[in-house]
Amino acid sequence: MLTDNNKFFHRKKIFSIFLIFGGIFVFLFGRLVYLCVWQSEHYSQMADELHERERSIKAARGRILDRNGEVLADSRTVCTISVIHNQIEDPQRVIRVLCEELGLSEDYVRARVEKRSSMERIKSNVDKEIGDRIREYDMAGVKVDEDYKRRYPYDELASKVLGFTGSDNQGIIGLEVVYEEYLKGKAGTILTVTDAAGIEVESAGERRIEPVNGNDLVLSLDVNVQAYATQLACQAMETKQADGVSILVMNPKTGEMLAMVDVPEFNLNDPYALPAGTAQNLTEKETQDMLNSIWRNGCINDTYEPGSTFKIITAAAGLEEGVVTPASSFSCPGYIMVDDRRIRCHKVGGHGAEDFVHATMNSCNPVFITVGLRLGVDNYYRYFEKFGLKQKTGIDLPGEAGTIMHRKEDMGNVELATVAFGQSFQITPVQLLTTAASIVNGGRRVTPHFGVKTLDADGNTLETFEYPVTTGIVSEETSATMREILELVVSEGSGKNGGIEGFRIGGKTATSQTLPRGSGKYIASFIGFAPADDPQVMALAIVHNPQGVYYGGQVAAPIVRQLFENILPYLGIMEYNQVDEQN
Amino acid sequence: MSLRKRKEQSEYFFDYSLLFIVLFLLGFGLVMIYSASFYEAIQDFNDEAYYLKKQLTASIIGIVLMIVVANIPYHFWERFATLGYVVSMAIIPLVLTPLGVESHGARRWINIPVVGLNLQPAEVAKLCMILFLASMVCKMGKNVRTMKGFLFMLALPLPVALEVYLITSNLSSAIIIMGISVLMVFVASPDYKKFVLMAAAVLALAAVVVYMVMSGSDLFAFRGSRIKAWLDPESDPTHTTFQTLQGLYAIGSGGIWGKGLGQSMQKLSFLPEAQNDMIFSIICEELGLFGAIAIILMFIMLLWRMMVIANNAPDLFGAMLVVGVMGHIAIQAVLNIAVVTNTIPNTGISLPFISYGGSSVMFLLIEVGLVLSVAKRIQLKEL
Repeated sequence: MLTDNNKFFHRKKIFSIFLIFGGIFVFLFGRLVYLCVWQSEHYSQMADELHERERSIKAARGRILDRNGEVLADSRTVCTISVIHNQIEDPQRVIRVLCEELGLSEDYVRARVEKRSSMERIKSNVDKEIGDRIREYDMAGVKVDEDYKRRYPYDELASKVLGFTGSDNQGIIGLEVVYEEYLKGKAGTILTVTDAAGIEVESAGERRIEPVNGNDLVLSLDVNVQAYATQLACQAMETKQADGVSILVMNPKTGEMLAMVDVPEFNLNDPYALPAGTAQNLTEKETQDMLNSIWRNGCINDTYEPGSTFKIITAAAGLEEGVVTPASSFSCPGYIMVDDRRIRCHKVGGHGAEDFVHATMNSCNPVFITVGLRLGVDNYYRYFEKFGLKQKTGIDLPGEAGTIMHRKEDMGNVELATVAFGQSFQITPVQLLTTAASIVNGGRRVTPHFGVKTLDADGNTLETFEYPVTTGIVSEETSATMREILELVVSEGSGKNGGIEGFRIGGKTATSQTLPRGSGKYIASFIGFAPADDPQVMALAIVHNPQGVYYGGQVAAPIVRQLFENILPYLGIMEYNQVDEQN
Repeated sequence: MSLRKRKEQSEYFFDYSLLFIVLFLLGFGLVMIYSASFYEAIQDFNDEAYYLKKQLTASIIGIVLMIVVANIPYHFWERFATLGYVVSMAIIPLVLTPLGVESHGARRWINIPVVGLNLQPAEVAKLCMILFLASMVCKMGKNVRTMKGFLFMLALPLPVALEVYLITSNLSSAIIIMGISVLMVFVASPDYKKFVLMAAAVLALAAVVVYMVMSGSDLFAFRGSRIKAWLDPESDPTHTTFQTLQGLYAIGSGGIWGKGLGQSMQKLSFLPEAQNDMIFSIICEELGLFGAIAIILMFIMLLWRMMVIANNAPDLFGAMLVVGVMGHIAIQAVLNIAVVTNTIPNTGISLPFISYGGSSVMFLLIEVGLVLSVAKRIQLKEL
C-alpha cells in the first residue's frame, strides 16, 4: 500500500510525466500547425505535381486571310498518337497495331513503347480517320489526342510569303514566323490525377484549362493579283528559259503588298518534297541546304545589282540637289572618261545631244554618270542614306537582306560613276521598289508590309497594324518631275513595251549583267507604276538569266504591262484613266 | 453478503472515461486503416477490407482479453513477473528459428502455429517488462532510492532491449523498452537530479551523432542516411527520404481542414503502407489540422486518465503498472507523431491503437485491461 508520505512524491513524479508528455504534445502540435498552415501551400503544390499528369490541348492556329477575306491558310483536325508505358497491358499488340496503322518501323515503335516514361509520343499529324481507327482498337495505354494541322488551300500560291508550320504547328518561314504570336494561340492542358503507378483516378476527374485559339491574320495580299502575277511569272520563266522570275506589286502610297511572286514556288502542303530527279543519297545537310534554297524568297532574301532602274534614284537626287533640271542638255559620244577609266554607254555610237528627259528615256549611262559626278561622293552618299537605301525596308517577312554598298571612304569617282547607273552595289528587289515608291509618291518612304490586322473568331478587329512612314525623302516638286519623266520613259522611251493604250503608266527598264562580268548572264527588270500622275499601284518584275533576248524593255516590261492590263481594271483604277483620256 | 456486494460495486471505481477513450481511438483507427489501405488492398489482395478485417479480428480478441484482464485482480499477475521476464528473453531469439516471419526486410515476427497469428516478441517484452519492473520496485522498497538500486533497476531491462535491438534490429522497440523502464524508475525514486542529467546526456549524445553524420563519418551507415534525410527531406526524394517526404506531402496538402475522409491522394501508393507507421500523415491529409488535434487531445486525455488512476492506485504495484502502461503509450504516440512530422529522424514506430498491427493492438489492450483492473481497486472514498 502507498503510504501517504510515499504517495506524495509518487504523485508529483507521475504528474511530472504527464506534464512532460503534455508539453511534447503541445510542441508537436505547433510543428503540425507549421506544416499544415505555413508549409501547406509548398507541400500541396509538390504533391499536386506528383499526382497530376499533364496532357496539352492544342489551340487552333489562326487563319491567314487575303485582303478580301479569302482563306490562304487554315487548320484542320489531325491526331497525335502517344503511349503511356505504365498503362500498356499488351505491348505486343500495341506495337503491331501502331506499326500497321501508322506505317512506322517496328524498332521505332518498340523503342517508344518500351521506354519507361510517363508519356511518349509516337506520331503527330496523323489523319483523323486513322486516329479514330486506332481509338476503336481500345488498347490500354494508347492515347489519341486531337490536334490541328495547317492546310493551305492554294498549295503553291504565295508560298514564300505565307510560309508553313512545323510538326508542333510553329511557323518555320514567312508570315507564319513573323505573326507567330498572333496566330498560335495558347495551348490548354488536361490535368489528370493519377496514383503512383500512373493509373488515372477516375473519381478525381480532370482539370481542364481551355485552350485559346489563335487570331486570324488579314493580309494586304490579293489572291487574284498574286495568282495572275504567278501565272505571268511562270509563263516568262518558261518562254525565256529563265532561272527565276520575281514580281512584286505594292501600293506605293501605303506600302501594302498586293503580291509577291518568286517562281519557282513550292507546295506549302508538302514543303519538304524535293524536286523530281533529285539524287536519292543526299546527306541530311545536303537535303536541308536544298530545302533552304527552295524556300528562299529572292524578293527579300537576295540582293542584286539593280542596273538602270536605279537611275530613278540618281535622277531624283540630281533634281533635288539642283545639279540638273529636266531641260539640262547633255551630249553622249557613246562613252565617258571618269578619271582614267573609259565607261561605255550601252549605245556604242552614242546618243548625241539630248536633254535630261531624253537621256532618261534613252537610259543614257554617260548622262547619269555626269549627274552623279556633279553631285559628288559626299552628296551622293548623303542621298543614298536619306532615301533609306542603307537600312532594311522593315517588311514583315523574316530574313530581309541588307544593302551591299561601298564604304564612303572607299568611294572614288569611278565607284560613284558605276553606282549612278546602278552597278557595283547590291540591294534587294523590295528595297528598290520601296525607294522608287517614295520618289514617285511625293517623298514618303513607306514600310512595305503584308499584315494589315488581326481578327478574333467572330471577325471583329483586334489590332490594326501600323507601320512607320518617313516623310520628306524628296520634295513634292521633284516627285512630280520624276513622275512626268518616268511616264515619258514608258510612253516614248525605252520602256514603251510597258505601256498600255489608255493608261498613264510610268516606269523604268533595266538590263544588268550578273557577276562575274562576261558570263553572258543578265537580269532583265522593269519597274512600273500607274496611274503615272497619282501612283496607286507599283510593280517590279525581275527575270533572272533569260535566254535569247535579254533586254529589260523586251523581257520584263511586257510582264508588267500584262499585269497592269488585268489588275488595273480589277483594282478599279481604270475609270480614272478613262476620264483622263477624254481630257 | 448481498448487501456487501452491492456496497462493493458502488464504492469501487470503474473508469468508463478511459474505456471510452480507448474504444474511440480503436474505432477511429479502424476507420482510418480502412481509408488508408483500401486502395492498396484491392491491388494486392483484391479485397478492399483486407487490412480492416485483420485489424478488426485482432481488436476483438484484444477487447476480450482486456475485459478478462480487467476483471482479474492485478496482484494475480505479480507471481508471473520473473517468469514473464524470462519468457520475453526466450521468445525474442525465436524469430531466428523457422517460426520467425520476415516482412519488409526485417525478421521481427514469430508465427504462432495453431492460431496462425503473427506475434511480435517485442510487444510481449514491453508488457512483461512493465510487470517485472513494477514488481521489482515493490520488492526493492526503499533500496530503489540508492545509487546502487537505481543502477540495478536500469540494468534489468538492458538485456531485453539489447536482444530486441541486436536480434530483430528493432531500435525503436529497444528505445521504448528503455524509455518505459526509465520512467518507472523515475516515479519510484524521489530524486530528480539523476534523471535531468540522464536526459541531458541523451540529448548530448544525439547531438554528437548528428554532428558526426553531418561531417561525413560512415560509422552509422544505415542510420546515418536516415539522419541526413531528416535534416533535409527534399535533398534526395527518390531514396532515403522518400517515405518522410511523402508523409510531409500528405500533411501539407491536408492543410487546416483536410481533404475529407477517404480523399487522401498520398495513400494511392505514393506513401507505401499508409496504414502502418505513417497513418498519422493520412489522418492529417484527410481530416486536416483539426483531425490531428482531435487525436492528440485524445492521447492527452488518455494520459490524464492514467495519471489519475496511478495517483489513486491502492498500492505501489498498481501505481507502477499504470505508470508503465502510461509511459508505453505516451512514448510511442510522441515518437510516432514526431517521426511523421519529421521532427526526429525516421524510425519505425506505430501510433498506439490506430496504426495497423495485430500484436501491437492486442498487447496494448491487455495493458489497458491491467490499468482498468487497477482502477477497479480504487475505493471511491479514496478519491
